[in-house]
Amino acid sequence: MTTTAAIHVHHVTRVEGHGDIVVDIQNGQVKKAQFEVVEAPRFFEAFVRGRPYFELSHITSRICGICSVGHATASLRATEKALGVEPSEQTVLLRKLIFHGEIIDSHVLHTYMLVAPDFLGVGSVIPLVKTHPDVVLRALRIKKLSGDLCAMVGGRHTHPCAMAVGGFTHLPSEAELRDMRARLVAARADMDATIDLFATLPWPDFNRETEYVSLRKPDEYAFIDGTIVTSDGFSYPIEDYKKVTNEKCVPFSTAKWTHHNRDAYMVGALARFNNNYEQLHPRAKEAAAKLGMKPLVTNTFLNTAAQAIEMVHCIEDSIRIIEELLIRGIKPEQPIVPEKLSGEGVGSCDVPRGILFHHYTYEDGICVAANCIIPTGQNYSNLHADLQALVPQIVNRPQEEIRQTLEMLVRAYDPCISCSTHLLNVEFV
Amino acid sequence: MAAGDLNLGGDRPEAGARAAPAPTLVVGFGNPLRGDDGIGVEVVERLRAQGLPAGVEVSDGGTHGLDLVNLMHGRRRVILVDAAPLGKRPGEYVRAALDRVRLRAPADLHSAHAAGVGEALALARALDLLPEEVIIFGVQPACVDWHSALSPEIEAALPDLITAVLAEIGSEERKHG
Repeated sequence: MTTTAAIHVHHVTRVEGHGDIVVDIQNGQVKKAQFEVVEAPRFFEAFVRGRPYFELSHITSRICGICSVGHATASLRATEKALGVEPSEQTVLLRKLIFHGEIIDSHVLHTYMLVAPDFLGVGSVIPLVKTHPDVVLRALRIKKLSGDLCAMVGGRHTHPCAMAVGGFTHLPSEAELRDMRARLVAARADMDATIDLFATLPWPDFNRETEYVSLRKPDEYAFIDGTIVTSDGFSYPIEDYKKVTNEKCVPFSTAKWTHHNRDAYMVGALARFNNNYEQLHPRAKEAAAKLGMKPLVTNTFLNTAAQAIEMVHCIEDSIRIIEELLIRGIKPEQPIVPEKLSGEGVGSCDVPRGILFHHYTYEDGICVAANCIIPTGQNYSNLHADLQALVPQIVNRPQEEIRQTLEMLVRAYDPCISCSTHLLNVEFV
Repeated sequence: MAAGDLNLGGDRPEAGARAAPAPTLVVGFGNPLRGDDGIGVEVVERLRAQGLPAGVEVSDGGTHGLDLVNLMHGRRRVILVDAAPLGKRPGEYVRAALDRVRLRAPADLHSAHAAGVGEALALARALDLLPEEVIIFGVQPACVDWHSALSPEIEAALPDLITAVLAEIGSEERKHG
């Protein structure tokens, strides 16, 4: 029984980037519970100013190595909207396909290698090899498949050099697409095994109502373009993103906080699941049923389970997209060149960790202003609210168990911390 | 299914579109923005520019992380090149087989971005997925500060290092005809 404890997790493990959990409990009362982002800022929004429009997606894809396709896509959409470029149907299909590849790639890494060890009683994926080698092999298989899918469409596995304003500089062959389709169909067995495994895991029982924010489109489970919707019933065009984000600085963190209808909102797989469940592929809905999930799910820990459901959806939808591409035949299209070189545009995608915005202004083809709002940054205030709610519920457990549970809560968000930091905190001595 | 069988699902005759991986792979690691830390990548770039013998592929290992496990799969031999603190003079290098080397691989995977060579090799070994031969060239750096050029000592050592890597590749051909 813990009535007094000071828990400081320095650099939470098995998350991308650096963040600390600081909890102070005195006589059973929670005095402090916060997540401090200590990652150094990246300055992307500053150094893209002065660069020509055709460089932006290549630069901003470097914000992250895991979600580089997500950044590239949002970046391209912002530039295309600013300069009046409408991508062809083939380009739209190929972008959806590589986007699915990245969703699967990112989610398999997070679910199997960052979260599963907590539930399977080990500290990382390496010891998991001894206790559950088939699980690790399955994760590597899925990761290889999704990595190859991204490389096939994007020109290489990370930082998709073939993606350009107005189209692609390299196109997959029909033989490659057929081969990939066969591999995706064969991967259904691994998807079934994934859902079976995740149905056995003891997800912590923690619920807190919050607002869920994501994209929505009328005719498909939205990842690229659409409108912004919230589970509290609000809807905005993408250009009005600031009405949702309302960023502000907080003293103990190098990342800003956001809020909309409540004191915090959540983005990511669980938000998409809650908002757009009806548009999931039937096999993904079956997976959801096996996991006992149907909207509205308010348990942050189940964000990881929602990611598993999305992997199933993306495998199925990738098969559908490839079949459509093969029926149409791949046409040797060149990227569309913009006719106007000045303008302002906002691009938005729902990348693995949640809704992302890139907002650019161009003059004569040169970027003069940029604003990027990263999904993980939008989750910090929600994570903070979750910590405030969870700590009192577990305050009477042994200190080590409290620490473990709080780390799992942070991991459940799949935070990409170095993507999200903005503010430099300089202390003069 | 045996532990060593990745069962990739695409290596079937009717698929046709993907070639089998080359038997020998040379991977250069490092960050070219950090001075001599980029030595592995520079070696790979120069090998690529020179032209490679048949059956040999090179790869820039800068961002691979755990994907190295998949990259090595199906190869007979992998040669890794990286900067390494050896306590030697800058530019000096050591060539060793993997089983004669103890890599410092931390027990915990701290972050998705922190999974490096050590973790990938440990994972591959545990899964029985390592190629027959894994050879490591470790090169003593002079300086790994934020600086996008190699130091003069490393530049001077590069030709010998590349010759040694090519000799290593060549020794494979002599052994296996």
